[in-house]
Amino acid sequence: MWLISLRDLVYRRRRFVIAIIGTAAVFAMALVLAGMAAGFRVEAERTQNGIGADAWVVPSGVPGPWTNFRTMPASLAAAVAAEPGVRAAAPLIHLRQSVHEGSKLIDVNVFGHRIGGLGEPAAAQGRVERHPGQVLVDSKLGVHVGDTVVIGRWRFTVTGVVHGMTATSGIPTVWMPLQDAQTMGFGGQPLTTAIITKGVPKRLPPGLTLVSNAAALDDGLRPLQSGIQSISSSKTFLWVIAAIIIGAVVYLSTLERVRDFAVLKAVGASSRDLFLGLAAQSVVIALVAAALAVVLAQLMAPLFPLTIAIPWSAYAALPVVALVVGTLASLVGLRKAVTVDPALAFGAN
Amino acid sequence: MADLLVKDLTVEYTTGDYVVRPIDRLEISAPNGHLVLLLGPSGCGKTTLLSCLAGILSPTAGSIMVGDREISGLTGQELTDYRRHGVGIVFQAFNLIASLSALENVEAPMWLGGTGRREAKQRAGELIARVGLEDRGHHKPGQLSGGRQQRVAIARALVHDPPLLLADEPTAHLDYIQVESGLQLLRELAAPGRVVVVATHGERMIPLADQVVELAPKFLEAREPERVELAPGEVLFNQGDRSALVYVVESGEIEIFKVRGDHTEERVVLRHAGEHFGELGPLLGLPRSASARAVTATVLTGYGVADFRERFGGDIQVGAALQSHPA
Repeated sequence: MWLISLRDLVYRRRRFVIAIIGTAAVFAMALVLAGMAAGFRVEAERTQNGIGADAWVVPSGVPGPWTNFRTMPASLAAAVAAEPGVRAAAPLIHLRQSVHEGSKLIDVNVFGHRIGGLGEPAAAQGRVERHPGQVLVDSKLGVHVGDTVVIGRWRFTVTGVVHGMTATSGIPTVWMPLQDAQTMGFGGQPLTTAIITKGVPKRLPPGLTLVSNAAALDDGLRPLQSGIQSISSSKTFLWVIAAIIIGAVVYLSTLERVRDFAVLKAVGASSRDLFLGLAAQSVVIALVAAALAVVLAQLMAPLFPLTIAIPWSAYAALPVVALVVGTLASLVGLRKAVTVDPALAFGAN
Repeated sequence: MADLLVKDLTVEYTTGDYVVRPIDRLEISAPNGHLVLLLGPSGCGKTTLLSCLAGILSPTAGSIMVGDREISGLTGQELTDYRRHGVGIVFQAFNLIASLSALENVEAPMWLGGTGRREAKQRAGELIARVGLEDRGHHKPGQLSGGRQQRVAIARALVHDPPLLLADEPTAHLDYIQVESGLQLLRELAAPGRVVVVATHGERMIPLADQVVELAPKFLEAREPERVELAPGEVLFNQGDRSALVYVVESGEIEIFKVRGDHTEERVVLRHAGEHFGELGPLLGLPRSASARAVTATVLTGYGVADFRERFGGDIQVGAALQSHPA
């Protein structure tokens, strides 16, 4: 029966090719959405890894360094550095600012760090900033070494560029000397929002809390959770849409093949045979669409301004999803096929 | 030895609102090697009978024996086995699967029966060659003429060498040249070990048949009038009965009514003294489309069709008859 159904696929190939392309586009979008959801964590990990901290210290009561707006004296870094388990400690300021690009405003994540100290990333082009008034920026900002950028009401010279260091949905990072960040965020006061360490402190001075890298990552992703969940839900809807596309085409094909089914039943096909035939068609459409979707997703991903990091698990799950979608889609035509009266085969055309 | 024995076969079902009985106490007995012709116009029950013989429709009453197998009560896997191996069907419109080649159309029943692909291909090749289409095995049905499609359909029906072969209107879609070769092939297939049953409304196959079963008997022969006396409530004839008489009410009142699918009755018309009813059934060879029952003590005279025409004059206009004289 599966051979009869596959022959029918070839015979009506035009409509099935259209269904495959439509379903592939839907599957590809689902892959992209999976990549989008994973991309939030990937970009956050990349940025956090670029800072290179083994642990983070924040004021007590604060969940983590990314959502914290409470400050503490930058001098506490020396006290933290003296704690057992810590090889080095330095203040790291995190601010949200905007870059003026003509009349446009571009949000940026500002990191203020000690020049030559912890938390300084490696520049992909140019060099790390060395003096106040200089910045190292992520390439997403679209500026080059030597350009001048206006952050808030301050002008800076770009000395270097990094790649892929974005956070919170593709917002580029800007690295500047600690004093410039203190001027920008705290009116010049010697404060910081976090202290980063090399080595993990076994104890801390009073009023401070230790945050691991994993907890820091979760802190950064927490404001995005509803967005990430919405994206995941959208992925599920897309699978449903894929099933509807395949189901609609298979159902239309079933309607056209009613007499074929009547003849097949008259010559001894069982309802199970007919179901397997329909399922074979649906699953083939879904699997071919899944394969095409893998290619389409690679073409679609660069079109999005966010980091799209499609996990291997999404690729591995796709054929399974295709199998389930195809089988469910075949149920649409199943009732029509199995309830066909074989006596219909005796009718005239 | 494959014989066909149909005993007291009755098929009754509900269509729309009414109960229909296209086959009523039918008897057929055909030894193997015979070609049996089912003759009758559209609506007389040919397709219904073929459906019963094919195991597709269960009769309301009676039995069908093919060889020593009672098929009218088969269910489940036994019925599936019978459809796969016990009967071959050549459908009126051939009903070849358009997406399969001629060879694959013949292979398809074998695939369904679990036959291996190599064996199915070999058997299909033999059958295609037997019907003279060895050079067209890879053609799709749309690339074949009506006559060639019919031969593919016959080859498909012979896949399991069934003891019973059914053909529904085998000449319907063929020109006269194709008709000749198609009928010749069917005649050859009615060989020892097989009964061939052909349903048709045309009489040109009669000379080829060993047995002719008229499903719509003609009642045009002359016969003596019959006087009938009915007590109140007594039924003259039932919906689905076959009868040769047209009735004239001499006295009393007759109620013509239809029985619905839910077994309730719907009065159609009352007939009084001097009025007639019941001419369409005998005229067209169809079963009664309604029942007739005496409302009061009633006397009727029943006439044969020819006698009725002669006595009451003119050709019966069927259109007017349908509107005013049901049953």
